Amino acid sequence: MRLLHLKVTLPLSILGLLLAGCIGGSEGNEGQGGQAGGQQGNTLQRVQDRGTLNCGINDAVPGFGVVTPQGEYEGFDIDYCRAVAAAVLGDPNAVEFKPVTTEQRFTALQSGEIDVLIRNTTWTAERDGAEGATFLHTTFYDGQGMMVPADSDYRRLEDMDGTTICVLSGTTTELNLATAFRARNLEHEPLSFEDNETLQQAFQQGRCDGWTSDKSQLAGVRSSWPDNQGGPDALRILDEEFSKEPLGPVVRDGDSPWAQAIDWTVIATIQAEEFGITSENVEQMKGDQNEEIRRLLGEENFDSGLGLPDDFAVQVIQAVGNYGEIYDRNVGADSPLGLERGLNDLYTNGGLHYAPPYR
Amino acid sequence: MLRVVFQLVFLVLVVGVVLYLYSNVLRNLDRLGIGTSFGFLDESAGFSIANSDFDPSANLFAAILVGVQNTAIVSFAGIALATVIGVIVGVARLSTNWLVRRTAAGYVETLRNVPVLIIILFWYLAVILQLPPIQRAVDWGWLVLSNRGLVVVWLERTGDLAVFLAVLGAGAVLAAAVSVWRTRRFDATGQPHRRLLWAAGVLVAAVVLGFFAGGRPFGLSLPERGELGTEHGFLLSPEYGAILIGLTLYTSSHIAEIVRGSILAVPRGQTEAANALGLSPFARLRYVVLPQATRIMIPPLANQYLNLVKNSSLGVAIAYPEVTRVIRIAIGQQAPAPQSVLVLMLVYLCFSLGISLVTNLVNRRLALRER
Repeated sequence: MRLLHLKVTLPLSILGLLLAGCIGGSEGNEGQGGQAGGQQGNTLQRVQDRGTLNCGINDAVPGFGVVTPQGEYEGFDIDYCRAVAAAVLGDPNAVEFKPVTTEQRFTALQSGEIDVLIRNTTWTAERDGAEGATFLHTTFYDGQGMMVPADSDYRRLEDMDGTTICVLSGTTTELNLATAFRARNLEHEPLSFEDNETLQQAFQQGRCDGWTSDKSQLAGVRSSWPDNQGGPDALRILDEEFSKEPLGPVVRDGDSPWAQAIDWTVIATIQAEEFGITSENVEQMKGDQNEEIRRLLGEENFDSGLGLPDDFAVQVIQAVGNYGEIYDRNVGADSPLGLERGLNDLYTNGGLHYAPPYR
Repeated sequence: MLRVVFQLVFLVLVVGVVLYLYSNVLRNLDRLGIGTSFGFLDESAGFSIANSDFDPSANLFAAILVGVQNTAIVSFAGIALATVIGVIVGVARLSTNWLVRRTAAGYVETLRNVPVLIIILFWYLAVILQLPPIQRAVDWGWLVLSNRGLVVVWLERTGDLAVFLAVLGAGAVLAAAVSVWRTRRFDATGQPHRRLLWAAGVLVAAVVLGFFAGGRPFGLSLPERGELGTEHGFLLSPEYGAILIGLTLYTSSHIAEIVRGSILAVPRGQTEAANALGLSPFARLRYVVLPQATRIMIPPLANQYLNLVKNSSLGVAIAYPEVTRVIRIAIGQQAPAPQSVLVLMLVYLCFSLGISLVTNLVNRRLALRER
């Protein structure tokens, strides 16, 4: 009995030590994070002191964040990282891109490893409330959709009773899928994969009947569908959207100046599109007769108190362009994804993007 | 006396450090506004799980249990298969037949030197997914094979099982009695006892009798192929197949080496003595070498079993809904990561301690008792 006792307690105590080690390790990180949390509300100051912005991103979503063959980051989310750097530091290249996984992202934010998270993260109550994060102005209104082979009979979700659905794990996707099918009284088998490549293989081989993800991601997959599999035309994305996925920047709780700086960077790109200011004409627009345009571009004697340079909007627009330019270049008409503006159009065109007045 | 004092001081130190770290974590999490309660386990899960009738409105704890169940199924099937294959290959590596010996060596060397994840992905992507799609499945009536899984004929309950189970229970008691009777007879007369054969015969008779006496309480469930999948029958999903094959092949190659080493560790004199007694090669292995080798191989085998259970977490790569997969889904959904990972660690700890306990008991039973 003694022997057994020893054999049980020994591994237990070793585990205890290991656990302690892990926690000790994370405590080390807290040391850095301590600055973040301890002196609250100074991320803006710290970023300006440091001279670079640590931006948490995804590096594997076509259109939103990918690494090019030249080793550059590009995409919709990447452009917003650059926009923030341009607004706060006056240099769109002063960004340290930090790819983070779905599991890491909030921890990375809380620990101070990244200053802002711009990584297709859906704004939900629980994340806003329980993750110690604050969600800012939505940059992209996404929704979960379903992609099926073009030669299948599936036209609507109702046609898909009893199907097997491939899901990329790690977001609210499984939850929305189950909710959508249950609401329609349909059965389904979810197969949730860890990485896109394995999922794509399974889908190509007919292991599953549908592939569900955010529509923006599905469009990305569809646009790069291999030619020997029939190219993009072999796939069809159903019209239905069965979730609301507002995506936008996320910062730590309790840091209003920093949150406001990023919010108004995003707003500036939207306002610029509304005013017709583009990266091409921004210099001429400085002399525009419209007082509001001149105020946005820092030509009027106006201090918003946001702690941003007077010409932050000019810096942003010169660096990445207005909202429409960012959209078209990365995910819209000028990109392989070819997404419609849809909900992401200006409110004047029937979309949801509406900028509060800059005055 | 000094030793006791030293032990006490050490204990106080360890407890103190652990408490300090724990309170530090709690304080920091609290400062960052991250909750530390385990209440999330009681919230409704919201997602479904493949190949189970898990109801999404049930709580997360129930979902994790389904995951634990899947981990247990693949682990125990893997342990059983890997042990059988491992023993056969390990013995074959010591065969006097050149071809058998070399084949076994090739098996071990190729599998042992490849990461288990690669083996699993290979079987999933390059073998199982390449099977015909469900529309063109191999359909033999009692077996349907496609890349949506292997479905074979199975039993289904059609009536009350009470009578059947009663007859079966009586049969089991009778079988045990027969076995004892054969053993006694063997002791008394020296006739071959064949007690296993006798007991099995009694059990089969009980099953047949119970089946008819109970009014045929179960019947055959033949797979029925549809457009999207197969109904009825017994389904082995592609994901389950791939992870089971991967774990079995990988672990069996390690077990084969353990078996070979253990057999070689049995003193040569034992084999020679068995030969001198005129035992056949099989009898020599069965009665002289393996029983002694078993004693040597139990501890390293236990290690392999633990590895197999832990490696089953690689099911995440191919959508097998084992416990790591379920908890990762939960984390992506709404569950707080630190607590969820803690739960996950606890699950594997329980599996490992359980296996350690069983193998330790077996080890103690088999250990040489010095008198």
